Amino acid sequence: MLSMSAGLCVAVLCALTAGLGVRGEHAEYRRRASLESVPGEDTSMNILHIRAVDNSSTIHYVWSSIGAPAVLLVYTSSPSSQLNVNWTQLTSPTPYGAITIEPASSVLYSTALLFTRIFEYQDVNNTADFSGTPEKYFYPAYDLSEFSWDDANATVNASSLTANLTGRAESHSFQNGSLTFRISAYDGPGRDKVSPRLLHNANCSKFEFLLSQVKPRGNNSRFALEMVTLEKKAGRKSMQSVRSIDDEYTPTIFEVAQLVPHTPNSSHAQGYFQWKSVAYGSTSGKREDSLPCQHYILKSLNESVEFPSVVHAFFGEDLLETYNVEAFNVSFGIADGDFYDKYNFMSWSALIGYGTPPKDSFSILVISIMGVALGLPVLLLLLGAGVVLKLKNRVYSSYEPIN
Amino acid sequence: MEEYDDREALLPGASGSPERPKMSAISDPNRLAHRIVVLCLMCFLGFGSYFCYDNPAALQTQVQLDMKVNTASFMQLYAFYSWPNVILCFFGGFLIDRVFGIRWGTIIFSLFVCVGQVIFAAGALFNAFWLMEAGRLVFGIGGESLAVAQNTYAVSWFKGKELNLVFGLQLSMARVGSTVNMNVMGLVYSRVKDLIGTTGHSTLGVTLMIGGITCLLSLVCAFVLGYLDRRAEKILNKEQGKTGEVIKLTDVKDFSLSLWLIFLVCVCYYVAVFPFIGLGKVFFIEKFNFSPVQAGAINSVVYIISAPLSPVFGFMVDRIGKNILWVMFAVVATLGAHIMLAFTFWNPWIAMSLLGVSYSLLACALWPMVAFVVPEHQLGTAYGFMQSIQNLGLAIIAIVSGIILDTSGYLFLEVFFSACLCLAIIAVVMLYFVNLIRGGDLNLSSWERARLQKEAEHEAQRERMRRDSIIWTAFAVRVRYLSRLGAQIPKHFISHQLSLSHRSVLK
Repeated sequence: MLSMSAGLCVAVLCALTAGLGVRGEHAEYRRRASLESVPGEDTSMNILHIRAVDNSSTIHYVWSSIGAPAVLLVYTSSPSSQLNVNWTQLTSPTPYGAITIEPASSVLYSTALLFTRIFEYQDVNNTADFSGTPEKYFYPAYDLSEFSWDDANATVNASSLTANLTGRAESHSFQNGSLTFRISAYDGPGRDKVSPRLLHNANCSKFEFLLSQVKPRGNNSRFALEMVTLEKKAGRKSMQSVRSIDDEYTPTIFEVAQLVPHTPNSSHAQGYFQWKSVAYGSTSGKREDSLPCQHYILKSLNESVEFPSVVHAFFGEDLLETYNVEAFNVSFGIADGDFYDKYNFMSWSALIGYGTPPKDSFSILVISIMGVALGLPVLLLLLGAGVVLKLKNRVYSSYEPIN
Repeated sequence: MEEYDDREALLPGASGSPERPKMSAISDPNRLAHRIVVLCLMCFLGFGSYFCYDNPAALQTQVQLDMKVNTASFMQLYAFYSWPNVILCFFGGFLIDRVFGIRWGTIIFSLFVCVGQVIFAAGALFNAFWLMEAGRLVFGIGGESLAVAQNTYAVSWFKGKELNLVFGLQLSMARVGSTVNMNVMGLVYSRVKDLIGTTGHSTLGVTLMIGGITCLLSLVCAFVLGYLDRRAEKILNKEQGKTGEVIKLTDVKDFSLSLWLIFLVCVCYYVAVFPFIGLGKVFFIEKFNFSPVQAGAINSVVYIISAPLSPVFGFMVDRIGKNILWVMFAVVATLGAHIMLAFTFWNPWIAMSLLGVSYSLLACALWPMVAFVVPEHQLGTAYGFMQSIQNLGLAIIAIVSGIILDTSGYLFLEVFFSACLCLAIIAVVMLYFVNLIRGGDLNLSSWERARLQKEAEHEAQRERMRRDSIIWTAFAVRVRYLSRLGAQIPKHFISHQLSLSHRSVLK
């Protein structure tokens, strides 16, 4: 009886604290965010521009599908800095300086993330060992700079701050399939409703990498994505794997991977990429559709890389001399896990942001359940001890000697 | 008491206990050697059903490939075993008490197990998955009830002797059954494949038929055990507390608070162990970066540890007593293990070993407690009820924890299990105080129990001596005769009050 009421207590308390938790959010830090397509001459050449402004700064995210898809992250100390695109120069063989932020002096930090290739390999033994798979099991990689892209302008949703960059390769596999970067901007803190339910704030934006209905080129196909990032010569990016005990928001996924600049003597915060080590085989992000992913170490690229023109347009011609350029891979799927062909769909999400990467913490529900659950037995023990002591005293006092 | 009187002859010496023939230790039910034989039989009685219970898990890939079913349908094989048991365990104990008696009950349930396994295997042979499911259903009807019968046998032979040890041994035998099955069935399958030449449903069927041999072995044990039990009853005049009494379903209402608390501990504890092990593999892969093989190994470590430890703990609890404290210790240790798994990145081998140790300890200390709080004739019902609600709890919590895992992840699942364990702790604490206040003997040390038992025996012996020492005059015999008929006689001639008059109480 007592334990039942204790259980009831737990439930009531949980409900209470959960209710409090929702209302008790801190004063939110917000930015005014906007997402728009920068109009050009050719509908297949997309530039999407996200501005996130507060009183003293602006964060620009510039997405482009000219050449390999890429995103530039620029942090400026001015709330009124503007993006300028010179289309004629951008499409010329020498695009240097075609993309600028005005005033240039307000730019405090800039970086870029490029999506260069998609690998596909045959995982014969279902080991999902991307880096250890022999060359012969790899199919020719898809070079994203050769993709043709849809007009993104039609997909821009200014109120929900989302847009899609959708493209496909000249290949049989992409006959009905496509690759999409679904871009979302945020104006305040929150959490997505669908797994991996990344925690976000006003200082970041998100992209989802979607492969849908792309035909695998064989049985047991697995995919991996190659990305390239750059950082000013003084520092370099480093890959961090943050293991958390908390998988409340992304069931069964305990690892958050983040790419943060490692720059000594840096006076201000910097850009980061962050993702949970999981992709999903469905849009609903159910656990049974999860395709856990793995990331691999950064490799320096010293020889000339074929940069998409936006990167040269912003960072200039002598990119390799002033920037450390590094490539890394993320592979999808784990040993004994499902293959891509089970779903013919895959979605992977990551954040791009400025400042300190967001960090999950225990929900109030967890803390309160633990508190109540651990506290009750102790309380009961004390109470019981008291009752027993009292009873014993009474028992002894009520028995008077017979004589 | 009434029964005893009924069997007693009117005239002393008219039919005393016959001279016992001298027997060798192995065949004398009074001797330890004989009890050991009985113990072995009891252990192998359950071996078949435990072996075959996990046949699907051992052959999961083969079953899914040969029968062409997905994982959800495959899991139905376990569901079909579990669901009927929610009700049947209860009736199993009931049937033992009321209808069949322990001996025939055991034999009948063993038969169910055998037939179920044969139907299961036949389903594979004829490539009919529904038949396999039906087989599991029949198997399930026998399986859990057989476990009830096994427990009842253990109590009737070993109560007051090596009961905890026996429970421990039975448990470890169950684990040995599962483990042997896990390691052997795959080999058997590949051998059969070599013999037949191809894989396919017939290979699977033959393999399962071979697995069914263990059930036959158990059936033989049931027959031998039944024979030995009857023989012991004749030789020892062992009281068969179960027969003659009419037990109503409403008996459940008369279960004491202590018994309900024991049930609560049982449910709350087991739902925090078995569903976790069922869902554990992915946890070790994702959180601790284990390979699937390593994860499988660490996930089975609880069973592997409990196989050798159970008899050791059983023996220890027998020697020391103090069951409630052991249960408390086990539950707290399990809670510690779960908290470790949930909130730290410590090597999970520590937590899982702790879980294995405390799991075996709990089983050895908890199950025998039922025998202390229930009259012997209700034991079957009580154990049946205990297993029934354990099954119900497991079935429900298995579903619930699946939902929790899918929506809120492992941390929350572990927190949920911890909460269950805290409820178990609350129940144990209450059990402790109830026992303390009402003066139950759940938490006595074994020497105190032995002393009490000796005193009781002493008392009974004195009683008997007193009765024997009464000079059976013709008058006394007539009084006794009249009292049997129900005729009124003066108070001071009633024989069973004579003994009381010797005590200071009535003086």
